[in-house]
Amino acid sequence: MSQRVGIIGIGMSEFRPRRDDASYPDLVREAVVIAMRDAGLDFDAIEAVVYSLSPDAMVGIGNAERLGVDAVGARGKRFLRINTGGATGISSVAAAWTHIAAGACDVVLTAGADKVGECGDSQTVLNKIWDPIYERSLPLGTINMLAMSAVRYMHKYGMTQEDMARVVVKNRLHASKNPHAHLRKQTTIEEVMASRMVSWPVKLFDCCPQSSGGAAMVLASERYIKERNLDAVWITGLAHSSESYYLGDRMGRGLTADHADAHALGVSFQKAFRMAGITDVRRQVQVAELYAPFSNTEFHAIEAAGLAELGESPAMLREGAFTLGCNAGAVVNPSGGTLCTNAIAVTAMARIAEAALQVWGRAGERQVKGARIGIANGNGGDHQFFGTMVVES
Amino acid sequence: MRTAPRVGVVGVALHACIAEDGRRSLEERLHHAMHAALADAGLRTSDFDGIVVAANDQYDGRAISVMMASGPLGGVDRDILSTPSSAEHAFVLGALRVASGQFRTQLVCAWSPTEASSIPEAQRLAADPYFHRRLPLDELAAAALQANVLEHAAPGTAALAARVLAKNRGNGAKAFPDQVKATQPEGRATRWPLRSDTVPPPCLGVVALMLASEDFIAERNLAPVAWISGMGWATEAAFLGDRALDGAPALQAAAAQAYRAAGVTAPESAFDLAEITDVTPYQELIALEALGIAARGDWAARLGDFAAGGSLPVNLSGGVASLNPVYITGLVRIAEVAQQMRGRAGRHQKAGARRGLAHAASGPAMQYQTVIVLEAANGSAAA
Repeated sequence: MSQRVGIIGIGMSEFRPRRDDASYPDLVREAVVIAMRDAGLDFDAIEAVVYSLSPDAMVGIGNAERLGVDAVGARGKRFLRINTGGATGISSVAAAWTHIAAGACDVVLTAGADKVGECGDSQTVLNKIWDPIYERSLPLGTINMLAMSAVRYMHKYGMTQEDMARVVVKNRLHASKNPHAHLRKQTTIEEVMASRMVSWPVKLFDCCPQSSGGAAMVLASERYIKERNLDAVWITGLAHSSESYYLGDRMGRGLTADHADAHALGVSFQKAFRMAGITDVRRQVQVAELYAPFSNTEFHAIEAAGLAELGESPAMLREGAFTLGCNAGAVVNPSGGTLCTNAIAVTAMARIAEAALQVWGRAGERQVKGARIGIANGNGGDHQFFGTMVVES
Repeated sequence: MRTAPRVGVVGVALHACIAEDGRRSLEERLHHAMHAALADAGLRTSDFDGIVVAANDQYDGRAISVMMASGPLGGVDRDILSTPSSAEHAFVLGALRVASGQFRTQLVCAWSPTEASSIPEAQRLAADPYFHRRLPLDELAAAALQANVLEHAAPGTAALAARVLAKNRGNGAKAFPDQVKATQPEGRATRWPLRSDTVPPPCLGVVALMLASEDFIAERNLAPVAWISGMGWATEAAFLGDRALDGAPALQAAAAQAYRAAGVTAPESAFDLAEITDVTPYQELIALEALGIAARGDWAARLGDFAAGGSLPVNLSGGVASLNPVYITGLVRIAEVAQQMRGRAGRHQKAGARRGLAHAASGPAMQYQTVIVLEAANGSAAA
C-alpha cells in the first residue's frame, strides 16, 4: 500500500422499527446525502461505489443493489456489491479501502440500507443460510444459534443470565445518548430478566431489534485529503477471517473452534492490530464498537478483541468496566451497539462509523473522552465471517 | 486502472460446461475447481491468502450463499469476500486486493446455477416489486427488448446478428465440439425477436482463477502468466426505461478506464483477440461499438475481421452463443483471454497472441460492464 486511506464523510439514518415514509432506495439515498454533506463533496468527486447489502431476501428484491445504483449516484461509475451477511458493512468499507489502496481511485463511497423490520420475519429468511439438506429443516435461526453459544459460554466460564442482562442495561444506557439508535429506553436487570424467554437463556431484551435505516461513508486517499486540507480519521488496520460453515464443527469432540468463543474474530483482530501497530490493546484502545446482536455475544467479542482474557469479561462488567465514564480500559459499544440497532446490511458499517465519530471527537453525548484509537468489527453468516478494523485520529 | 504492483493470472480452472451427472455436489465441484486452478499455477493450498467469490443467493436458493462456498474453497481461517453483483466483479476485487499490497495472492471463483427450478423466475425477483415484478421481465426478455431497440435504431441489424451468431457457433463447434454439439437447441419462438436457438440453454459451469502479485510470481518463478494491464468497470441505471438500450455508455466508461491504464489509444487495432459477452449477438455488436472497435455504420464491412482468421478474432471460444453458464459468462470471457495469453486455450488457441481484450456484462440488458486488458509475459507470446 502506497498511502493511507481516510474517512472523510459519515451518514447514518436515525434507525427505526419501520420507515413507511421511505422506499428501500430512499433509505440508501438518505444516508448517502448525509455522508456527502459531511464530506463536503458533490457526486462528481466520487469515482467508485461499493454497495453494502446482505441477503436480498431481507428487502424482497433479488440483486437489490441494482435498484440502488441511482440512489448512490453510481450511474456510469465503478460499482460493485458486497455480501458477507452481518459482516457486509465492514466488508464493504474494506472493499472501498482496497479501491484506494490499490491506486484505482482517490474517493470512494460505500453505502447501503436495510428494512429488517419490514421483511416479514427475519428469522425465516435467516433460516435459509443453512444447508438445505442437513440443517435447514431444523428450527435454526440466528437467535437459537447464538443461544447455543451462550449455553456453552455459561458452561465454560460461569456466566449467568444476570451477567447477560448487565450488557443490555449498559448498552441501553449508551443508546439513550445516541439519536441514531433504535432502542433508546433505559432498562434494568429486573426488566431484562422478566422479559419473554425466546431461546434459553436468551430473552427478548437480550436480542437486537429489527431496524430500518441506511448508512454511508466516504473514503479518500491521503493525497486527496492533504491536497484539499480535508478533515479525516484514518483506517490503520483491517482484516477478515472465517470459521467453518457447519455449526457442528464448533461443538462436541473434535471441534475446530469452540462455539463459546469467537476464534476467527480473534484471529482477524490480531491481523488488524498487527497492521495498525497495536501491541497492547488494553492500553492503546479507548473505544470499541463490537458487533454483538445478542447480549451474551458481547462477552466473547470483548475477549476476542483482547480487551479481556477468555471468560473474564462478565466479572469486569460487574465491576463497571466497558461503560461510559469507566475509570480504565476501553468503552465498549458507546453507541448502544448492535444490541440496540440492527439494520443488518449496514450494521457492521455503523460500527466503524461510530468508532470513527469517537476518534474524531464528534460523538455527541456518547463521546468517550480522549478517544484516539478505536476498533470495530462485524460478524456474518452463522458466526462464520469476521471483519475487523482499527481507526485512528 | 493499471495495478501497481502488477497483478497476473497464474492459474485457471475453466469448466464452462460440465456434464451434469448428479454425482457431485456443488461443494465438491468448487473444491475440485480450486485444486485445478492451484495445480495449473503450480501452487499448493497453503499458498494463497485470500478469496473473492461471486455468490448469488437467488440462483443458489440460499441466503448468504458465500457461506456454503467458503469451506470447499479453503475459506476457513482465511479472508473471504463475496460480490453477488456479478462474477466479473469478483475478479476485479481480487485484482484490487492484490494490487493494494494487503494480499499477495487471491483465489477468484464463481459458478452458475446448479439446481434452480426456474432461472427466469429467479431473475424476475430482481424486478422492482411495485412497477415491474408482474411483467415477465427476466434477463432474456430484457435482452430481447434491447435487440428490438437496436433494430429500430439501426435497421438491418437482425441480419448482421445472424452472421455474428453463425460465426460464434462455428467457433464454438471447433473449440468445444462435444459440449456445443450437445447443447444445440431447437429453434422456436421465445422472446421476440430472439428465438430459442439464439441463446443456448443454460449449462453448469465453474470458474476459478489464481491471481498473484509480481513479486510473488517472481519469487515462485510462476509461468505462464497473463498480466492484467488494464481494468475498468461501470454500471448503467437499473430501470430499462431510463436507458437508451441500443448504446452502452457504461461500457464506454469502463473501456476508457481500462484503455487509459493499458496505454491503448487505438482499440480497433490494439488487440490480437477479444472475448465479448454475447448473451445475444446483438449485444456483441453493441459492445464492439462501445469498445471503440467498430461503429454501427462499419459493422457490416468489419464482420470479416472478427472471424477466426480475421485481424481481430472475437469469441474464438464460441462465446455465450455456444456455451451458456448463466451468471459466470463474463468471468468465462476473462478466463478465456487469460488462457489465450498463457498459451493454454486449447483447440482455439491463437498463435502469437500477446494482448487480449475481455468484455464482461451482467444484469438486465448489460447493466454492469467490465473491461479487462490482459497481456502475455514479455518474450513469451502464446505459441
